[in-house]
Amino acid sequence: MNPFLAQQMQTVEAPGIDWGAILPMVIVFGAACVGVLIEAFVPKHQRWSGQVVLTLGSIAAAGIALGAYVSGRPEHGVVTMGTTLSIDTPALFLWGTLLALSVAAVLMIADRSVEPGGSFVAQAGIAPGTVQDRAQVQSTGMQTEVFPLALFALGGMMAFTAANDLLTMFIALEVLSLPLYLMCGLARRRRLLSQEAAVKYFLLGAFASAFFLYGLALLYGYAGSVKLADIATAAAGTDRSDTLLFAGLGLLMVGLLFKGSVGPFHTWTPDVYQGAPTPVTAFMAACTKVAAFGGILRVLTVAFEATSWEWRGVMWAVAIISMAIGAVLGLTQTDLKRMIAYSSIAHAGFLLIGTMALTDEGLSGTLFYLLAYGFTTLAAFGVISLVRDSTGEATHLSAWAGLAKRSPLLAGVFTFLLLALAGIPLTSGFVGKFVVFSAALSDGMAPLVVIALVFSAVAAFFYLRVVVLMYFSEPASDGPTVSVPGAFTTASIALGVIVTLLLGLLPTFALDWAGAGGFALGG
Amino acid sequence: MRTEAPLVLAQAGADATVSTGEAVAFWVLGPIAVAGALCMIFARNAVHSALWLVMTMLSLGMLYMLQQAPFLGFTQIIVYTGAIMMLFLFVLMMVGRESSDSVLEVLRGQRLMAAVLGIGIAGVLAGALTRALTDVPPAPAMNPWTPEGGGAGGLARVIFQDYLFPFELTSALLITAAVGAMVLAFTDRHSKQGKRSQRDLVEARFRGEYERPSPKPGPGVYATSNSVATPALLPDGSIAPESLSSLIESTPTAQLQAHRKQLESRAAGSDTHALLDPEDGTGDGDAPAGAAATATEDKA
Repeated sequence: MNPFLAQQMQTVEAPGIDWGAILPMVIVFGAACVGVLIEAFVPKHQRWSGQVVLTLGSIAAAGIALGAYVSGRPEHGVVTMGTTLSIDTPALFLWGTLLALSVAAVLMIADRSVEPGGSFVAQAGIAPGTVQDRAQVQSTGMQTEVFPLALFALGGMMAFTAANDLLTMFIALEVLSLPLYLMCGLARRRRLLSQEAAVKYFLLGAFASAFFLYGLALLYGYAGSVKLADIATAAAGTDRSDTLLFAGLGLLMVGLLFKGSVGPFHTWTPDVYQGAPTPVTAFMAACTKVAAFGGILRVLTVAFEATSWEWRGVMWAVAIISMAIGAVLGLTQTDLKRMIAYSSIAHAGFLLIGTMALTDEGLSGTLFYLLAYGFTTLAAFGVISLVRDSTGEATHLSAWAGLAKRSPLLAGVFTFLLLALAGIPLTSGFVGKFVVFSAALSDGMAPLVVIALVFSAVAAFFYLRVVVLMYFSEPASDGPTVSVPGAFTTASIALGVIVTLLLGLLPTFALDWAGAGGFALGG
Repeated sequence: MRTEAPLVLAQAGADATVSTGEAVAFWVLGPIAVAGALCMIFARNAVHSALWLVMTMLSLGMLYMLQQAPFLGFTQIIVYTGAIMMLFLFVLMMVGRESSDSVLEVLRGQRLMAAVLGIGIAGVLAGALTRALTDVPPAPAMNPWTPEGGGAGGLARVIFQDYLFPFELTSALLITAAVGAMVLAFTDRHSKQGKRSQRDLVEARFRGEYERPSPKPGPGVYATSNSVATPALLPDGSIAPESLSSLIESTPTAQLQAHRKQLESRAAGSDTHALLDPEDGTGDGDAPAGAAATATEDKA
């Protein structure tokens, strides 16, 4: 019988969609598409205001939708869109964190007062160093496409943290990465450095995605399915080849750890953090880390809990390497943006300790740590963008000498943020480290906690070095000026500082929410 | 999902033997595919190689269709021969056909190794396949409406039912890619920051945005000299300073500097274009200065 004719028509039923649960993500993606339309149809001089209103409005709307859903959510989460999305308590917490962080990041992206015209180039298509390029330095326009790109990245991150199978996770990973690659290359000042950062991030990121995909393929070969729950079932008790399972897990983790900038997969971090426009660096440092560790938490907890004895040793080593690289190489840095990048590598190591615990305390501790670290590092990059000289941001350490005499407020704020990064009490960093380390202790990882404490102390040294430099050095005569930030950057830094302080003084509320429930394990 | 049993049953009998038509098609298409692959390797011209590969891909696509996998067959033809091979050809054309013809071995013994390894892997594959394919009972044709069947219907079920969300999510990826290409490649030449047109340039010149509305005067051309170092003369006979290049060392330039210095020292605010008296003149012997002196005498 001819197969061309024999196919009788069959209907494909659409999967059930819980619109209430996925509404925040739908709003973000919808607003990103509208943003692209604004680029196409709105005259140039109105685009910036239109994009800012749309972007902030949509994030606020997504936040409201999330708040409305959280109050009446089912206890064990809901699996929707077929089985591809799992909207459970950790996913909702991460969505809230991502939305709050991206409000602050978008405010920094939109700022046009610190640098006239914003930190983004007016026309990225013009080659750096040409006559046209010198002409456009003076222009006050900016490439307003960064707003829809930021929304796409945010939507990708939200999908990534809620993805219930590896295929969705991979596509979400690409959706969150591709806009970031682009945004890295759009700096107004030091354009070649910025473009180099974008190319490096793109090439290494594509390479890491290939690792992820290869791991995905091997795990599919092992379990016959890409769903996390099916992999967990297959790993729980079968006589299938463990080679496929562990090779797949290893390759998968390489891709995920790369995004979380965990050493030894960190090599892109310092260069990209330094070269990218500072608002984008802030967005990347805060939100990408949240998304990546959200993904790692879900993969390890849902799919690989049964095999944790096999992989935990390797993860120990990765965490130690990451903390060592971050703390020791951070000591040698002379550029502030690079220093914060190495600090983020060290923090990735601390986060990994909480991720490995696979207990309820480990989960809630890691979620809290992500929230606290995101706001602190975002505000720190906001402060860095304010200290400028004639060539743009003055990020060299020597330029910051004696800054407290020039601007006591800025030096005070930055000191507070650095102390939070170091984990001094009364800041959110302390509470974050405390909950993560205590979760690790109760899960029998005492040696690792001791090592982590040693590296915390080493890392604290280079934060304090900056503090000492700002307060106890003589300012250079030709030193940088401290720009007075406009409303947007002020709001963004203030948000970061207030959250850092509040989470340090009254962490209970956030801790309760972070510990409200585990991952939905159903498939 | 299991309502289409008659289709499977109807085909089960036919699968036990290979029908004449299928055998004929196989023996026609198989050699063409192999020949295309071999010609691809041995063709000297990269474009010819690509075209031979197209032939192999086409034959494979038709073989898939004979094997009752029409969707896979058409995908093979549309995606591989249609899209990917054309991309290959575009790249070859862009790089230039000639540059790919080099037969220089960059790595020593690379070709020998490639040949040995290639033949080796062909042997391994052929051996494994031969062993795997002996005494295999023919499977019944699969139902293309199940995900395992590989038909369009089964794929639709997977894409639009199980994995609807990732499928929709790829649209975000495509939009980002398109926006990114626009951002990185598009420059608005007609905007204010863009390149100026000739008309804009002329208007800007006369508006005074540039140093002078006209180009700089060329060097002087006389019967006695047409060197680029010869200064042009203004209507009053004085030297036009813009016509002297600062890059070229020349006697007139040096003279002009000397004249100016002398004039400046003589009286403040005096006209630098005014020439010295002939008796004060330092360089009477030179043609241009001489010409200038004559011009002044004539005027007087």
